[in-house]
Amino acid sequence: MKKNKKIQTQNQDRIRTPFSEAVRKFKKQKNAVIALCFIIFLIFLAFFGDIIAPYKINEYDYSAILQGPSLRHFFGTDEFGRDLFSRILSGTKISLAVGFGAVTVGAVCGTILGLLAGYYGGIIDSIIMRICDVLFAFPGIILAIAIVAILGSGMTNVVIAVAVFSTPTFARLVRSRTLTLKNSVFVMAAKNIGVSDAGILFRHILPGAIPDIIVQYSMSFGSSILTASSLSFLGMGAQPPTPEWGLLLSNGRNYMTSAMYVTIFPGLAIFLTVLSFNLLGDGLRDALDPKLSE
Amino acid sequence: MLKYLLKRIVGTIPTLIIVVTFVFLFVRIIPGDPARLVAGEQATQQDVEAVRERLGLNKPVTTQYITYVSGLLHGDLGTSLRTKRPVLEEISGRFGNTVRLAAVTLLWSAIAGVLFGVWSGTHRGKWQDYTGMTVAVSGISLPSFWIGFLLIMLLAVKMKILPTTSSSDWKGLIMPSITLGLGIAAIIARFTRSSIVEILKEDYIRTARAKGIREKVVVWKHVFRNSMISVVTVVGLQFGFLLGGSVVTETVFAYPGLGSLLIESVNYRDYPAIQSLILIFSLQFIVINLLVDVLYAVLNPEIKLQ
Repeated sequence: MKKNKKIQTQNQDRIRTPFSEAVRKFKKQKNAVIALCFIIFLIFLAFFGDIIAPYKINEYDYSAILQGPSLRHFFGTDEFGRDLFSRILSGTKISLAVGFGAVTVGAVCGTILGLLAGYYGGIIDSIIMRICDVLFAFPGIILAIAIVAILGSGMTNVVIAVAVFSTPTFARLVRSRTLTLKNSVFVMAAKNIGVSDAGILFRHILPGAIPDIIVQYSMSFGSSILTASSLSFLGMGAQPPTPEWGLLLSNGRNYMTSAMYVTIFPGLAIFLTVLSFNLLGDGLRDALDPKLSE
Repeated sequence: MLKYLLKRIVGTIPTLIIVVTFVFLFVRIIPGDPARLVAGEQATQQDVEAVRERLGLNKPVTTQYITYVSGLLHGDLGTSLRTKRPVLEEISGRFGNTVRLAAVTLLWSAIAGVLFGVWSGTHRGKWQDYTGMTVAVSGISLPSFWIGFLLIMLLAVKMKILPTTSSSDWKGLIMPSITLGLGIAAIIARFTRSSIVEILKEDYIRTARAKGIREKVVVWKHVFRNSMISVVTVVGLQFGFLLGGSVVTETVFAYPGLGSLLIESVNYRDYPAIQSLILIFSLQFIVINLLVDVLYAVLNPEIKLQ
């Protein structure tokens, strides 16, 4: 009995950790919470979309070509009679995988480069930042097009291209945070008791940069999906018959006057997905940025 | 001021050199034999050798590099494989169209973005703020090619008030400009809002209000003018986004600009053209960034003092 009571009091005045604070602030933002739920739903679709889909993605049905949305085909059918709803469902995993792959690679590389540049300074800093400047000297999608023109079209190369141009953003972000944290008291204390450079970088400085990285990760995720689908739209990314959203949309332009829905639904899928990652990013920024707390 | 200007100009030189080098290496890092790629799959060995000779690919890389750079300095960008005309002619024919589209787009999106931003920022936490920012976050999430098609379907196909494909007269600029500008206006609006919100917290705003100045004057004379210092930077930086966006938008509307030329060249594997276009795009971007930095220094008294 007595023990029980003690636990209860502990529960009442819970310790406010930075994490619980962030969660509390995040929950207050309805847009971001809805966006997160939608993203979880998308992840679910990415894994199980093919099972839920009423038709196979490459199931041709020449008796039902370019039919408008109906109960049999929720989003209608394309010029080969393929069910657009099933194809868009299946496209979810492609877009999410591209976003995840490209941004994760960009974030990891950028973070490591940013930590090194900010912590060591000097020549290492100059070299890394000069490379970032050069990457920044190409407008995003132009750089991606250049990389795809070199490597050839295809989804893997699109992922590489998007990863390359998201790297400098992370590098700059982490570098500036590292510069401020480098001179903080706890880092100096760690140095004085003989913690190795790697230990300082990854156990003392990196955690301080994590909030920035998380926010940027979510924002980059949205824009990466947008860039990747733009590249597919331009014919440089996914190739037919892949049900990539940008490609589906590009295909629809041939039937614009007769079958509008072939362009409308894939575009809507891209828009909602990118929107939810941007909203999540906004929400995370408000929850994690100490400057904004009042 | 002059010293700052010189320092900034000198600072871009290493970037320029690296960009030119990257563009030079571009054709050489393509997997496979570039001469074979240029000559085509069916070309005989003799043709391939002829192409190699013509492009100077049989000479040492350093010689090639020097030839390339001196060519650039003389305005020689090579010959397009697709049209067999000098790349410079191809580009200059379309350059004006892209600049016109970019200028019109930047103008309307900057005005719209700033107004939306001020409106949201000065009504922080109220419905105006939520409306403005919901529109803005949607704006940055919209795939531009989708918006392009929706506009074509609505304005050209259904309502028939605008031509489907665009020419470079003002009527043909409307739809591409809306498509290209939405995202930029949204970014500018978001940035303006946060800048306004920051400045509203400043002490001098409280002082201005305490003096009894009307709220309209406070907003436009104190808040707006101070926020513009950083907003100008963001507007300028959007130019790069504009250049990138023009690739997609011009393709959607078959607009005869540099962006659509780049895509045509990539599809044709016209490497001299791709190379030069990438160079032109990044040069424009570097110049714009330089101008923005200078403008920022002119506008911001804190930098002038240093």
